[in-house]
Amino acid sequence: MIENALPVAIGNYVGLSAVLFFIGLTGVLIRRNPLVMLMSIELMFNAANLLFLAFARAWVHNAGHIFAFLVITVAAAEAAIGLAIVVAVFRDAPFVDVDEVRLLKG
Amino acid sequence: MNALGLVLLPFAGAVAIWLLPRDNRTAARALGTLVALATLALTPAWATRAFSVRWLSRPFAAAFHFGATPLSYWLVLLLAVCSACAIFAANVPRARDFIAWMLVLEGSMLGLFLARDLLVFALFWDLMLLPVFFVLIGWGRHHGTAWRYLIYNFSGGLALLFATAAFGVLDGSTDVIGRGDVHLIGSWVPWIFAGFAFAFLVKTPVFPFHTWMPATYSDAPGPMVAVVSGVQSKAGLYGFIAITLAFLPDYLHQYAGLLVGLGALSILYGAFVALVQNDAKRIVAYSSLSHLGLIVVAIVAFQPLALAGAVLYMVAHGLFSAALFLALGFVEEREGTSLLSRLRGLGRDNPRLSGALCIGALAALGLPGLAGFAGEIAILIGVYQSGLVWVTAIALAGIVLASAYVLRMFQDVMNGPVSPDLPVRPDLTWREGLAIAPLAAALILLGVNPHAVLTASSAQSPPVATAAIEPPR
Amino acid sequence: MTPLHHATLGVDGTYPLLLGLWLLPLLGAVLCWTFGPQLKAAAGWLATGFLGCSFAATVLSWPAGTQLIGGAHGAHQALLSWLPGLDFGLLLDPLSLLWALVITGVGFLIHLYSIGYMHGDRAFARFFAYMNFFVFAMLTLVLSDNFIGLLVGWGLVGLASYFLIGFWFERPSAVAAARKAFVLNVVGDVGIMAAVFIIVAHVGSIGFGDVFAASPGFGTGVLFAICGLLFVGAAAKSAQIPLHTWLPDAMEGPTPVSALIHAATMVTAGVYLIARCAPLWSASPNAQLLVGSIGAATALAGALLGMVQWDIKRILAYSTMSQIGYMIMGVGVGAYDGGVAHFLTHAFFKAQLFLGSGLIIHALANEQDVRRMGGLRSKMPFAFVAMATGVVAICGVPGFSGYFSKDRVIYGTLEHGHPWLFGVAVVTAGITAYYMFRMLFVTFMGEYRGDVDHVHLPDWTMNLPVGILIVPTIGIGWLMFGGDASPWNRFFAGQFASGAPVTQPAISEGLTTWIVLAVVAAGIGIAYLRYGTATASADAPARLEREAASVPPVLANAFYFDAIIDALFVRTSQGLGRFLGQTADPLLVDGAVRETALSAGWLGALTRSFQTGLVRAYALVLVAGAACLIAYYALAPGAFR
Repeated sequence: MIENALPVAIGNYVGLSAVLFFIGLTGVLIRRNPLVMLMSIELMFNAANLLFLAFARAWVHNAGHIFAFLVITVAAAEAAIGLAIVVAVFRDAPFVDVDEVRLLKG
Repeated sequence: MNALGLVLLPFAGAVAIWLLPRDNRTAARALGTLVALATLALTPAWATRAFSVRWLSRPFAAAFHFGATPLSYWLVLLLAVCSACAIFAANVPRARDFIAWMLVLEGSMLGLFLARDLLVFALFWDLMLLPVFFVLIGWGRHHGTAWRYLIYNFSGGLALLFATAAFGVLDGSTDVIGRGDVHLIGSWVPWIFAGFAFAFLVKTPVFPFHTWMPATYSDAPGPMVAVVSGVQSKAGLYGFIAITLAFLPDYLHQYAGLLVGLGALSILYGAFVALVQNDAKRIVAYSSLSHLGLIVVAIVAFQPLALAGAVLYMVAHGLFSAALFLALGFVEEREGTSLLSRLRGLGRDNPRLSGALCIGALAALGLPGLAGFAGEIAILIGVYQSGLVWVTAIALAGIVLASAYVLRMFQDVMNGPVSPDLPVRPDLTWREGLAIAPLAAALILLGVNPHAVLTASSAQSPPVATAAIEPPR
Repeated sequence: MTPLHHATLGVDGTYPLLLGLWLLPLLGAVLCWTFGPQLKAAAGWLATGFLGCSFAATVLSWPAGTQLIGGAHGAHQALLSWLPGLDFGLLLDPLSLLWALVITGVGFLIHLYSIGYMHGDRAFARFFAYMNFFVFAMLTLVLSDNFIGLLVGWGLVGLASYFLIGFWFERPSAVAAARKAFVLNVVGDVGIMAAVFIIVAHVGSIGFGDVFAASPGFGTGVLFAICGLLFVGAAAKSAQIPLHTWLPDAMEGPTPVSALIHAATMVTAGVYLIARCAPLWSASPNAQLLVGSIGAATALAGALLGMVQWDIKRILAYSTMSQIGYMIMGVGVGAYDGGVAHFLTHAFFKAQLFLGSGLIIHALANEQDVRRMGGLRSKMPFAFVAMATGVVAICGVPGFSGYFSKDRVIYGTLEHGHPWLFGVAVVTAGITAYYMFRMLFVTFMGEYRGDVDHVHLPDWTMNLPVGILIVPTIGIGWLMFGGDASPWNRFFAGQFASGAPVTQPAISEGLTTWIVLAVVAAGIGIAYLRYGTATASADAPARLEREAASVPPVLANAFYFDAIIDALFVRTSQGLGRFLGQTADPLLVDGAVRETALSAGWLGALTRSFQTGLVRAYALVLVAGAACLIAYYALAPGAFR
């Protein structure tokens, strides 16, 4: 029963999650539009969520579900704050580019 | 009431003064002087009544424990006298705030001298830096001086705090000042000694930790410098006697050679540099380096008479450097400068001002019959007997040099033909004269009969002479 | 410090007169100082009155000072315990009584004289406050029963001298002279301090009685060190080579000051010190040789320099230095009664000479150059008589006071086995006669060469003290006439037990007297031929100018002592101070501190370069860090165990 709890082999979930994560990571690293960067971060969160849920199902353990909800909450908060910051920072800018903002330069 | 009341009194006075209208100089000065005089009057009654409340139990026992020891009793009296005189003499702009800071300084130093707990001692050590810092920021010429003062002394304070914490962990309690039965063992002890010694050497100051001092002394207003140079510089020496000598005598013995060397170097270094300074206040600053070096030597000579002389000379130096800085403050207020190259011939039209500066100057150069001489003689007899003949010779050379630079300072300001460039100002006022008179009287009294003065208050506290003569082991 | 039984020199007791004679001048000084503006001209009379009372008390203390009960000689008054183990008290024995009498007596006359001399000065009251303070300080010096009390007086007379040399402090030269005098005297104070340290270390007490009682136990080296260091003090105060250079400059002070402090009393403190410590000196032949030689050298140097001076007060200053050289030579070799006798006679005749010169200076509107004097005998006959008796006395003409005391010193050098000091003393006596008579002739003979039309004759307050001083200047020496039976020897019976002659000289006292007289006569004769004859005074102005121009440089520069002291000590100290203050302090000491502070800044600058402000760069670093962590755990053996 337990080994059959997952119709698809766990390796596929892990592979998909890895692909999603690296797509997100690449997006954060190479894109200069903060909105796209935020979306890429969401993608990485979702990669993690996918893993949590897959393993929760595979091992029949609720901790994964709980963590997934936690991550969704954090992601929502992050998106809210991140978007607020983006709006505040780029309100007067003619175009949106994170490389143009260096407020933390030492 | 007890010693805690004495510590809190100036703080309360400071708060009261800040409640006064901003521009009421006279009221602020009157209230400030009154508070300082009340501290002086209450010292015999309150200082020796101990107050103690438990503060920490872990990792070591600490207590808010206040109460005078014989040594600190004299420093408290010195502090109260100098503070009262300095506040009474204060004539700076924004006098209300200045006087409130002076009272904060007095309160924090009372806390320092009356503290019987090392942690409280360290707390007040850092606290007493703040009023000086703020006065340097608000009334000094360069902000850099204030930062230099703060960072220099705060690094000493940090070393003191670490040493205190380590002390507490090793001994189990920091409620130890004035106790004779504390003996530290452990591999940390050399570091504890180093921490204490660094803090005290910086605060005194001793060569080569002195470079904050000339700038501070020449930048701050005269009344503030009078207290800083007169009393605050004794905090380090007090620490040497009350803490290092009392709890770590073995290490003090072990490093006595180094400390004697630094002290002797300070004597000569301060004297030679004072010889060629152009700013009268810097001359007195470097002379302090020279004089305080002698006290450091006296403490590590481990000789009863030298130690009694050290205490005597601490009080004497407090009195005459306060008098000198007050008098130079009066000169600076009148002429807007303390540079010897610009001052000349003030004595002709200001005989009373000249007399005030003269008494301080004479005490500083160790004139027989004034307090400085008594301290020097007692110290040097002791130092000679402890076998440090070459240090005695250096100190004697320091006395000769002192006569040269002090007279140069006095004569260049007061003597010579009247300079047409300088504005003619009124002579010393009654207020200014009254502010300096107690210091002069104390200098004469202590110089004529030091023994009687030192044993006078034996009803109130053990006489400092005999207490200091038996080095606490 | 082991407490000893207290060996005082005098009879213990309470002596109100002694306290009175000591403290009255202090009271006078305080009153004159405090109420100077109110007292105005009355300050002079007040101070003089206080000093007169003090003199009366001194005279009345004579019986107490000379009493002899048991082994104790004189009166001892305990005062206070100054520091643990260091007690203060007053001692009035014949030696200090003699000094106290001279200080208060001559001091009284000079105070009286000053009322006239200082008349109209704007700081009249301050002058008398200083003068009374000086008398108090000098009495402290001679009445103390211990070394630190003596040192206190020693320092305070130095202070009074400083104030009075620099009395006219608007004159830069007076200010410089005052500072020089004070600093050189502090060198002396420090010498005595060092001696006190050695004494306390060996005896545990500072009382004269204790120290002298313990002195036989001192080693030779210790004794020589104590005597040598005490002599540093004596040399500074008494203007002995090489610490003498302040004395000629000290003539910047008002003339009564020169008479009281820099001739009669303060500068003889060194003589007092050595006479007081006779038990120490007699036990140290090396110290005796040193001090005697320096005294002789000073006597000779002062006399040589006296020959080439033109300022009347500088002539007298160098003669003072020379005469104190005699005294030091006397007490130094062990002829204590001779040295002290010369102090007594010198106090009178030198005060007389200074006050006499003050009459002239006052009359000629502060003219001090003898080249612009001359012919004053007819204008100021009284001053001439005063100066002439002084000059005759100082030269040692028989019958005048200087003859008796100088004779004792000169013969004393032979009696104590120093024949070559005897030679120096005799030669100096001749030179003294020459330059003193030179001064007398140039000042009073010939034609007047100055430009003051009206000679302003002094009033009675100035003339009276000079007139009174003529009596002891001539007569005081007769106290010393008659060898052991003389009043002098009886007065000091037992005081200088250690000063007995050590050898029987090869030539008799009578013969030495004749030798000295012959040399003195020669000196007077040469002075007369050069300055006193009618032909000499005929072309005086031009000749004196020529002479002034041809002074040998070594004498014109006073043997280069000032230059050497300046180069060796003053300029080296200033140079060192300048190096330390302007180079070492800001660059080395503070430099180290600043470098420490700046290194924190450098560290910040380094780490700052990592903070680009590029969000994506931070992200890359973060990813790289995460990759490293993962790689570590993946590759490290057993990381996932």
